[in-house]
Amino acid sequence: MNTVLIIDDSEINLTLIKALVLKLGDCTPVLFDNPLRALDWCRDHVPDLVIVDYMMPDMDGLQFISAFRALHGRTEIPVLMVTANDQKEVRYEALLGGANDFLTKPIDRVEFSARARNMLSLRIGQKFLADRAAHLAVLVDEQTKEIRDREKELIFRMSRAAEFRDPETGAHIQRMAYYSQIIAKGLGLDEKTQKLILEAAPMHDVGKIGIPDYILLKPGKLTYEEFEVMKGHAKLGHELLKGSTSEILKAAADIAISHHEKYDGSGYPHGLVGTKIPLFGRIVAVADVFDALTSERPYKKAWSLDDASRFLEEGRGLHFDPMCVEAFLACWDEALVIRQRFKDEEVPMI
Amino acid sequence: MTELFVLDRALILDRLGGDEEIFLLMVDLYLQDVDNNAQALGEALVQGKAEVLMREAHSIKGLLATLSDDAGAAEAATIEQQAKLGKLSGLQPAVALVQRRLFEVASVLRAETASAG
Repeated sequence: MNTVLIIDDSEINLTLIKALVLKLGDCTPVLFDNPLRALDWCRDHVPDLVIVDYMMPDMDGLQFISAFRALHGRTEIPVLMVTANDQKEVRYEALLGGANDFLTKPIDRVEFSARARNMLSLRIGQKFLADRAAHLAVLVDEQTKEIRDREKELIFRMSRAAEFRDPETGAHIQRMAYYSQIIAKGLGLDEKTQKLILEAAPMHDVGKIGIPDYILLKPGKLTYEEFEVMKGHAKLGHELLKGSTSEILKAAADIAISHHEKYDGSGYPHGLVGTKIPLFGRIVAVADVFDALTSERPYKKAWSLDDASRFLEEGRGLHFDPMCVEAFLACWDEALVIRQRFKDEEVPMI
Repeated sequence: MTELFVLDRALILDRLGGDEEIFLLMVDLYLQDVDNNAQALGEALVQGKAEVLMREAHSIKGLLATLSDDAGAAEAATIEQQAKLGKLSGLQPAVALVQRRLFEVASVLRAETASAG
């Protein structure tokens, strides 16, 4: 059903146009003899067609069209202006002011029906396009979500690939990612950034793919030379991840190269100091070390929570960014929940 | 304007797509409003309100045109134009003429509806 707004200060015209609108079928006429009251109505209602007289008290048809068009979402709605034959100048002005077509007085039913139907067809087309645009937007959202989900899955699988060659467990990756998110939250970073670090942190050690097995899987202490090779995983991970347009991969590349940097400059690969180390790298350093310490491995026992938290505190300003340690310890209860949620099922045997 | 108003029912109905119902509705509304229209036109002139006079003359012009009274509509258009220019002096005869025309049309319409009924 189309809503047709009719504005004319003459009752006889209102009644005549109303009767003609009803003859069109599938239309509900809404009548106003005062343009200001009609404009008020338009603030809360969206007509499908407006038929407005030119000469009216308080506000003429041109002023009405201008005010109507200024309302949000009313720029495309068809407007028919009713004018006398001798008002050519008014017609030009109305066209420039936003009227779509004219009706000449005295109103002729054939002309009226044709013009009104044209305008209503235009409106139906607009609605169809709007519905279609909304439908397409939903589809795009769905597709984008699908692509994002696929991207996340690929990232997860990539992390798993590195993990298969690494004594670290899947649960470690999840715990350290959630710890990183907790620290980001504690630092006051927005939710989007918290989510970004949660999704990017699992790839921090992806560069281990390029480390030879005899070093990566060596049960004992690494020699100086072996450790130098092992340190290369930070750069390798960065090489693997850099250059992507994906926000997650860009963040992951930053994390990969910086999560072994230390706040006092004694870390690797670049020996960056303090806030020269990317924030995500400083956050992940705390999360990764804390989880490594508190997890059991074939070559070591798990540290107690007290010992691990003491290690973090003692490492403030040396190994770790003091703000990140503070943020983590301030959310200690949340960290314990994560620890409980993602338990190591089995310690992989080397 | 010397000619008498003659109701061209066929012409009006043709414009209304042959819709008798709308025609009778229009006639009815005209008869209901004619006194007010004539009075408003006269008052606007007496009060010297050019803009109101222009608007009233414009409405009457449309009203008479709707009933295919081209001569009456033309007279109302003259008043409208003069009022638009702010020239109210000397308009009294024209206003009186249009007022008489409104009543003349009304009387023809009453006769028409009486004979139809």
